Amino acid sequence: MLDLLRILQESALKALLSAETSAEIAQWQNLYLGRQDGELTKILRGLKDVPAADRKTIGQRANEVKNELEEQAELRKKAIAEQELVSALVAERLDVTLPARTLNSGYMHPISQTIYEICGIFQKLGFHVIEGPEVETDYYNFQALNIPQDHPARDMQDTFWVEPGQILLRTQTSPNQIRIMEQTKPPVRAVVPGKVYRNEATDATHEAMFHQIEGLAIDSSTTMRDLRGALEAFARELFGPQTKTRFRPSYFPFTEPSAEVDVTCNVCGGSGCRVCKFSGWVEIGGSGMVHPQVLRNVQYDPAVYRGYAFGIGVERIAMMRYGINEIRLFSQNDLRFLRQF
Amino acid sequence: MKVPYHWLKEYVSFDASPEELAEKLTMAGLEVESVEHVWNNIITARINHLEPVKGSSHLNATKIFTGEGRELSVVCGAPNIKEGDIVPLALPGAQFFNDAGETLTIQATKKMGVVSEGMLCSPRELGLSSDHEGIYILPNDTPLGVSLADAVIHLDIKAHRGDLFSMVGIAREMAALFGAKLKQPEIKLPEKGKNSIKKMASITVKAEDDCPRFTARVIRNIKMGKAPLWMAQRLALAGMRSINVIVDITNYVMLELGQPLHAFDYDKVANHHLIIRRAEPGETLGTLDGAMRELTPDMVLVCDESGPLSVAGVMGGASSEISSDTTQILLEAASWNPVNIRKTSAKLGLRSEASSRYEKGVDPELALQGLNRAAQLMAELAGGEIVPGYLESYAHPSPNVTIPFHASACEWLLGYSVTPEEAAGALRSLEFAVEQNSDDGSMLVTVPSWRGDILESADLVEEIARELGYDRITGKYPTGDAPEPQAANWFDIQYQFRRRLQQCGCAEIVTYPLTNQRSTLQLLTDESDTAQLLIGAVDELAPAEKGKKNNGKNKQKQQSAQSVSETYDQAIPPLSADELPAVRLVNAISAKMDMLRITLMNAMLETISANLRYGNASLRLFEIGRRYIALPNSERQLPDERRTLCVGLTGYTESWTEPRREYDFFDMKAIIENIAGGLHMTNLRFTQTQSPIFHPGRCALLEVEDSHAKESRFHTIGVMGEVHPIIAERFGISQRTYLCEIDLARLYLHNTPPRFQPISRYPALTRDIAVVADISVPAQTIADVIKASGGELTRSVTLFDVYMGDQIPEGKRSLAFTVEYQAQDRNLSDADGDFLREQTANELKKQVHAVVRE
Ligand SMILES: [Zn+2]
Repeated sequence: MLDLLRILQESALKALLSAETSAEIAQWQNLYLGRQDGELTKILRGLKDVPAADRKTIGQRANEVKNELEEQAELRKKAIAEQELVSALVAERLDVTLPARTLNSGYMHPISQTIYEICGIFQKLGFHVIEGPEVETDYYNFQALNIPQDHPARDMQDTFWVEPGQILLRTQTSPNQIRIMEQTKPPVRAVVPGKVYRNEATDATHEAMFHQIEGLAIDSSTTMRDLRGALEAFARELFGPQTKTRFRPSYFPFTEPSAEVDVTCNVCGGSGCRVCKFSGWVEIGGSGMVHPQVLRNVQYDPAVYRGYAFGIGVERIAMMRYGINEIRLFSQNDLRFLRQF
Repeated sequence: MKVPYHWLKEYVSFDASPEELAEKLTMAGLEVESVEHVWNNIITARINHLEPVKGSSHLNATKIFTGEGRELSVVCGAPNIKEGDIVPLALPGAQFFNDAGETLTIQATKKMGVVSEGMLCSPRELGLSSDHEGIYILPNDTPLGVSLADAVIHLDIKAHRGDLFSMVGIAREMAALFGAKLKQPEIKLPEKGKNSIKKMASITVKAEDDCPRFTARVIRNIKMGKAPLWMAQRLALAGMRSINVIVDITNYVMLELGQPLHAFDYDKVANHHLIIRRAEPGETLGTLDGAMRELTPDMVLVCDESGPLSVAGVMGGASSEISSDTTQILLEAASWNPVNIRKTSAKLGLRSEASSRYEKGVDPELALQGLNRAAQLMAELAGGEIVPGYLESYAHPSPNVTIPFHASACEWLLGYSVTPEEAAGALRSLEFAVEQNSDDGSMLVTVPSWRGDILESADLVEEIARELGYDRITGKYPTGDAPEPQAANWFDIQYQFRRRLQQCGCAEIVTYPLTNQRSTLQLLTDESDTAQLLIGAVDELAPAEKGKKNNGKNKQKQQSAQSVSETYDQAIPPLSADELPAVRLVNAISAKMDMLRITLMNAMLETISANLRYGNASLRLFEIGRRYIALPNSERQLPDERRTLCVGLTGYTESWTEPRREYDFFDMKAIIENIAGGLHMTNLRFTQTQSPIFHPGRCALLEVEDSHAKESRFHTIGVMGEVHPIIAERFGISQRTYLCEIDLARLYLHNTPPRFQPISRYPALTRDIAVVADISVPAQTIADVIKASGGELTRSVTLFDVYMGDQIPEGKRSLAFTVEYQAQDRNLSDADGDFLREQTANELKKQVHAVVRE
């Protein structure tokens, strides 16, 4: 009986070593340790026929063999499982350079993005964002802005008329200066983004419709230094901390004094390139102190209140920021263009 | 305005290169467009020797001396040169523009075997004249070797500074900038003869309001001919061609002083009597440009006793034009009403150098100076004799403008303090007269007559700021009172919509709001459709069940639209195809852009079509913009500008991980539900409808239930569907395309903050239910019944299968849903499940005649 056990143990351990897969282990377990017909089970079952004197020794030995076989089987099983996991993982290797699954991310138009960035900067400086009508009256677009009927400045802005002399497509966002001041008492701080229209031939840098952002700040202490400070803060945030700003005298009927605003060219950093026409400076808009006549037109007393207004061209800034050389790309809406933003 | 650099030096001394000058002018507010260098490498030289080139019929070989060094060999084909002539010589490197506008660079060459080291120039090549008259022969006393090189500064002068349209005007600004002195041209008048002008000519000004000042002189014994080179050269650089000495002098003085002049042939003026009056109806005038002009009574004329001689300030007439026979000149220098000139010039379509100056206002004080300066030059350069005296009408000389000023006004606007001395000094440098009150810093400022743009204290502050330099306006971080923080506004709301659409994989487009009627009407399948359907986002559409299109139905639609507009939005009137409520332009650039859009859909289809042509086959696009609805019968003057969202979808999913699938109706629906989800809207519904833009079976009205109304009421917020193939084809699109248009203001009305639902601690009970119903019963209706029948216990109803075919009767379909039930206070048992299922089956049977499959 003990011999039988020894032979069984030897052959079982040998067989175990040749098992290569978890399935073969299972088979082996069934063969030797199976509850029904396992070889060892059979031996254990035969114990009852063994004389009582030997039963204890043989039983003990049989249990030892059983424990060892189970232990060895566990070890073998673990080793095989590890092996199998390794090969499974190897088989599951992916080519990580295959393209990603589509997440369908879309794109905001560069004009919208630029408007949100610019207005966002001014919102942080305490400005409201207000939008006004695109179809305007002559009064708001011209007269109230100190541009009477026969003013030569009307030549500068060729107008689309809906009703000649009365209703037009706004040529600038400036009519909202009047609308805002009519509706609120100082202090006023607001920016007005929106579409404006000019009846003129289109080319690489001119469109009949484009976007402007108007700014207005009125209170009892605001001066041209605040204007410059606000525009400097804006330019540094939009174009980077190294950006410098310069004022040039200019003329707008609704500001006095008036200033054209230039920033250092962020393409060449001020040393001169094609974008800045080798001047190192790029014009971003017009500005000035709100003309006393405009203040009087909205019943603000120019002896009590003062403030500034500015107008920024959105396309121009977007073109400079993104290095776009052709304004018509904005309205062509070619997906190959839109996808870049 | 073109400002020749060397000419400018005659009126002010300064030490700056053309580029330095340009920079200085720019920073003083005179905008420089460009600096052009001209006539480089062209010098004066003498022909020392001339002989024909052997074998050529017309070429001459010349030896040219430039005053120093060796003689140069130049071959020339012009017939008018001889030995001893002094001529302009272009050396290698000199550049010219030919008639085609191309640049030609002079190089040393060989012509017929003879070396040519340059080119002799004709007046035409120098831009001095337009005819081919041979080489320009300079006066005998011209020094040799003098360079003609010059620079022209192109200035963009703003309209309010009429005084800067002259050399003296620019020089005056520069004198202030450089702290130099302005040198006005010195006028000497050698009047000659005994007869005063009063005996020779007369003027009558009948239109005094149109003609603040009129002056005239007579110059006799003129010798007509060419103007001298220096004058032709200056005119050429300033952009004017040389014509004859008299015309050139009038142009020269206009450029120099800013005073336009007109020279009449004295002998062609009837009775030598000039009459200034408005035109009479029916009068005509043949102008210098050869055209016959019809004159209207709002135009001002200079006439003689027999009729019009010139359109005042705009253009002269042919009848009194000076010619080579002219010997006596009647010279006019006047000032005219700027508005009148502007209107006349616009009406006649005539814009001359004179009229463009008069439009901006010419100082009446300038007239006599201009008159005398021109007379002087006519005496000096054309041998004329100036008749003693001049004629003048100066009805209402404008009084000097005086402005009480205080230096503190500078700090008020500029933010830095300026002393009274600085302020007064700056103003004086620009020839303002300043009377300072030493006690309190106040002063009385008298504005020079040519500065009509200066009206009040703020204008003086700008002049002072320019003189002191805008660099002194240093920036400071904005302080001062800020307004109260702003509440939610459309700018931010639209940003949320844009972000959400971006998250839905859509690319934003920005199209022109200008469109045309034809493109808009292309959205209608046939003519009997009413255009009101285009305002899909605005007007109620008829439900699809009401049958095919016919006039009766259109009437119904109009009625329903009317009732909606009465109750919901007064601003939108019903309309028909021939009465689009569009805002139209009276002066469009092109017929393609003559009205503002009333829908975003045609531009979306045009954009999709263009992108398909560019090769972008799959498109998910959106636009957020305004539609402009005219309100003809409204009190409001301005149209309704409605914020609108348009989404366009076409093409297919593109991923290698799954089979390519064409976008369909439900992709579009997903985008809309995503937007509504962003607003936490639970009351959006899609109702089957028909619209002429869309596939008759694939169109939905977007409606939301009014959460504020007492009884259940739905409002239309938009429309969506598959574009009708006929319409897609009109826009050049041959693949299935989906559109959606939503009125954002209406959608946003139903924006609700999210409401928290307590999360139950008890497990949910899930049951699948298959419902067989008529195909005509909308899936939404069945889902609604299932949901309602479970009452508060229903958590969700999710469709997972739609089946037609075997085992399902004809005309019916099976819809399979997963329903999730959950209670807040207990476990739901299988018995609960069975009960709910039976209850649902009963409701389905009762409400939509549907059967629940076992
Ligand atoms: Zn640059």
